[in-house]
Amino acid sequence: MDRRIVEFIAALRAAGVRVSLAESNDAFRAAEKTGVLERDTFRVGLRTTLVKEADDQPVFEQLFPLYFGSGGPPLQNAGQQLTPEQRAMLAAALRALLQQMQQQQEQNRPERGRSAAGQPQQGGSSDALSQLLRLLRWLLSGQSPSREELDQAGGTAGLVPGADPGQQKWQTRRMMRALGMQGLPEMLEALWQALAEAGMRREAIEQLRQTVEANQEALEQQVADYVGAGIARRLAAQPPRRPGPELMDRPFESLSEAEADALRAQVRRLAASLRSRAALRQKQADSGNFDARRTMRANLRNGGVPLELRYKRRHLKPKLALICDVSTSMRHCAEFMLRLIYELQDQVTKARSFAFIDDMREISQDFATYQPDVAVERVLTRLPPGSYNTDLGFSLNTFCHEYLDAVDRRTTVIFVGDGRNNFNGPRLDLVDAIKRRARRIIWLNPEPARLWGSGDSDMPDYVPMCDSVHEVGNLAQLAAAVDQLLAGR
Amino acid sequence: MRPNSISDMRQALAKQQYIASEEIATVLFLAEQLDKPVLAEGPAGVGKTELGKAWAAVTGRELIRLQCYEGLDETKALYEWEYAKQMLYTQLLRDKLHDLLSSASSLTQAADRLAAEEDVFFSRRFLLPRPLLKAITSEQPVVLLIDEIDRSDAEFEAFLLEILSDFQVSVPELGTIRAHHMPLVVLTSNNTRELSEALKRRCLYLYIDYPAVETELEIVRMKVPDLAPQLARQAVELVHRLRQIDLKKHPSISETLDWARALVTLNAHLLDRQVLETTLSVLVKHESDLARARHAIARSGPNGGAGDEPAAARLRLGRGGTREGRYGPPNS
Repeated sequence: MDRRIVEFIAALRAAGVRVSLAESNDAFRAAEKTGVLERDTFRVGLRTTLVKEADDQPVFEQLFPLYFGSGGPPLQNAGQQLTPEQRAMLAAALRALLQQMQQQQEQNRPERGRSAAGQPQQGGSSDALSQLLRLLRWLLSGQSPSREELDQAGGTAGLVPGADPGQQKWQTRRMMRALGMQGLPEMLEALWQALAEAGMRREAIEQLRQTVEANQEALEQQVADYVGAGIARRLAAQPPRRPGPELMDRPFESLSEAEADALRAQVRRLAASLRSRAALRQKQADSGNFDARRTMRANLRNGGVPLELRYKRRHLKPKLALICDVSTSMRHCAEFMLRLIYELQDQVTKARSFAFIDDMREISQDFATYQPDVAVERVLTRLPPGSYNTDLGFSLNTFCHEYLDAVDRRTTVIFVGDGRNNFNGPRLDLVDAIKRRARRIIWLNPEPARLWGSGDSDMPDYVPMCDSVHEVGNLAQLAAAVDQLLAGR
Repeated sequence: MRPNSISDMRQALAKQQYIASEEIATVLFLAEQLDKPVLAEGPAGVGKTELGKAWAAVTGRELIRLQCYEGLDETKALYEWEYAKQMLYTQLLRDKLHDLLSSASSLTQAADRLAAEEDVFFSRRFLLPRPLLKAITSEQPVVLLIDEIDRSDAEFEAFLLEILSDFQVSVPELGTIRAHHMPLVVLTSNNTRELSEALKRRCLYLYIDYPAVETELEIVRMKVPDLAPQLARQAVELVHRLRQIDLKKHPSISETLDWARALVTLNAHLLDRQVLETTLSVLVKHESDLARARHAIARSGPNGGAGDEPAAARLRLGRGGTREGRYGPPNS
C-alpha cells in the first residue's frame, strides 16, 4: 500500500500539484490512522494532507480512483439465492441455450463464407461466443475476471497506452466490448425466456435478473479500475511537468496551448505574490513625519512618557490608468497583458482599464464584473482585430476627450503596446497633455528593444515622453517590470 | 474528552449543534491524532469559525481566539510588557531600592546590586500574555482559533510558522517558552489572498463549501425549529438557486439562517412576492446583486410574478436549468 501512495503522490506532482516531502510524510501518518478499509476516510485523510489548494482538489478526485480503485461492490453469486431445483433449471437452460447458439453459428458459417468476409471473421464469431459464455459465467457465478483475463481483453481491445485520465471512460467501454458485452442483452433475454418456459417462478427470475444487472455494473467498475490502474502506472512514470524557469523566459508568441495554460497560472501566482509584496512596501514606507497625536495616545499607559514613537503613515494610494493595445500585432500577447491588467485592477482599488485598436474603449466594467477568462474573452471579441487599422493617435484623442478624468496627479498611466501606429500621427502633444496631468507614465512593450523604430514603430518618439519604458517579451521581464512599478521607482 | 473515532467525532459535533460532513469530522479527528493545525478555507459564512467553537466544546477545552487584521503584530498577538505596571512597581518599591542601594560604597557596586534585582522587573509578572502566549502557557489544554488569517500581513504569517510547528515562542528577556499541552489549532481563511506555501504545508487542509440542500435544511431545522418544514425547504432551495447565479456575494449559511428567522418573525406562510420583496435584502447584501436576484426570480416565472404561486416554486420550475451553464459557480 505504501508503494501505491508513493506512486499516487508522484502522479499528483506530475499533474502539477505541489506536494512537499513533509506533506507526503503526513499523508503516510494519516493513512496509518485512518486505515485503508474505510475508503472515504482514507481518501479524506490523503486529501487533507496532500492537497492544500481548493483548485487542486478536482485533480486529486480524478486521480484517486485510478490508484485506489473506485470501491465498487464485489460481484454476487447469483446461484446462492436459488433452490437446488432452480439451480438445475438454470444449468439446463444454459446448456440448451449454448447448443442453440452453436447450431445458429453452424448455420451462419456457410453464409458468412459466401459473403466473402473471409477467415478472420469466422474465427471472430466463435471467439465472440466463447467470450459471451465467459461473461455470462462471471455474471452468474459472481466470480471476478482474473488479471490475465483482463490483460488479454485489454490486448484485444487494442488499448492505447495513454496517460490521460480523461481516457478512462472511453477505454473502459472498449474493454467491455472486447469482453463480449454487445451480445449480452440478447442472450440474457433468451435465458430469462428459457427459464420461464422451464417453469421457474417469476419472482425468482426477477431476482436473478437484478443480481445479474448489479453484477454487470460491478464488473464494469472493475474493468474501469483495471483501465485506471494502467493509466495511473504510465502517469506516475511521466516526468513532472511544471512551468520551469525556461517558460518564464520564453517569448509569448512561441507558446503551445498547454504552456499558455501554465503561464496563465504563473500570472495568477505572480499577482498573488505582488499583492503581499505591495503590502510589505506600504509597511516599510511607514516612517517619516512624527505623529504627535498618535504618540500621545500610545503612551498614555506609560504615564505620558513617550517611550514609543509613532509616525505618520504615508498613505500611498496608487491610482492606475491602464491602456492596452489589442491590435493584430499585439494579439499573441494581448491575452496575457489583459490578464495582467485584470489582476492589477483587482489589486488597486482605483484603477481604470482601456483597450484600443483604432479607437479607445473603457473595459474596466468588464473586468469588474466577470471572471478573468470571461472578461478577457469579452474584451477580445468586443474589439475584433482588423488589418492595419491601429491608430493610437486617434485613440489618444478619444481618451483625452472622454476619459481624461481618469488621470490626475496621483495616477500612474501604463501603456501596454508595441507603438506600431501604421504611419498614423503619433499625437505626441496628447501624450504630453496626459503626462502633465499624471504622476508618471510607464510603457510596457512586448517587442525586443532593437526593433523599436523599425517600420511603422513610433516607439522612439514615445520613449522620451515616458518616465520608464520596459521591454516585456516574456513573463520574467513582465514580473520584473511590475515589481518595479509597485516599488514606486 | 477525546472522541475515539470519526463517527464519535461527528456525533459529538452534532451534539454541539454543528452538523459536520464526514470530511470535516475526519479532518478534525486526524488533526487530533497527528497534532497538526487545521486550515479551514471556503466562502464567508459557511461556519468555519463555528467549527472552532464547536471543536472546543466537543473536547471540553477553553477556546482562545485571535482575530487577524491588517497590521496585527507580535505585541498584539503574542505578548507585551506591561510598562505601566513596571513603572508603578518601581515607584512603590522606591524605598526598598533606596535601602538596597544606599549601603553600596561605589557606583559599580550599586549598579551590580540593581542588576541582580533586574529579574524582578522582567519576569512573567509583567508579561501581558496575548492570545498566542495564552494558548501556549495555559495550564489546561485549549483550542486556539486563528480567525481570518488571510487578513493579516505576510510577516505575521511567517511569524506564526514557529508557533505552529513547534508550539514554542522565544521572549528575548525570558528565554523560550514551551507549550505545556499541545493546543488544537484552527486557522480560517476566506481566501482573499494566497497564503504562503510554508504555512499550508504545516496544516491539514479543509475546504468547506456551501452544503447540499439536505444538509442545509438540517441546519435550518436545528437552528430555527419554528419555521414550518415546507417553507424551510422552499427557502433553502431558493437560496441554492441564488448561489447558482452570478452575484458579487452569494448568500451564506448564516444568511440563510437570518432569513429563516426573519420569515418566522414575519409569520410568513409561503414565499410569495411580497414576502420576498421585504426580506430579500437579508439574503443579498449588494444593491446590484439585489436587482439581479429579483430579476432572476421574476424571469424564471413566465408571468413575471403576477400570480400568487410561491416564487420559489416558480424559480424551480423555470428555465433555470438552461441558465446554469452560463452562470456556473466560479470554481467548478
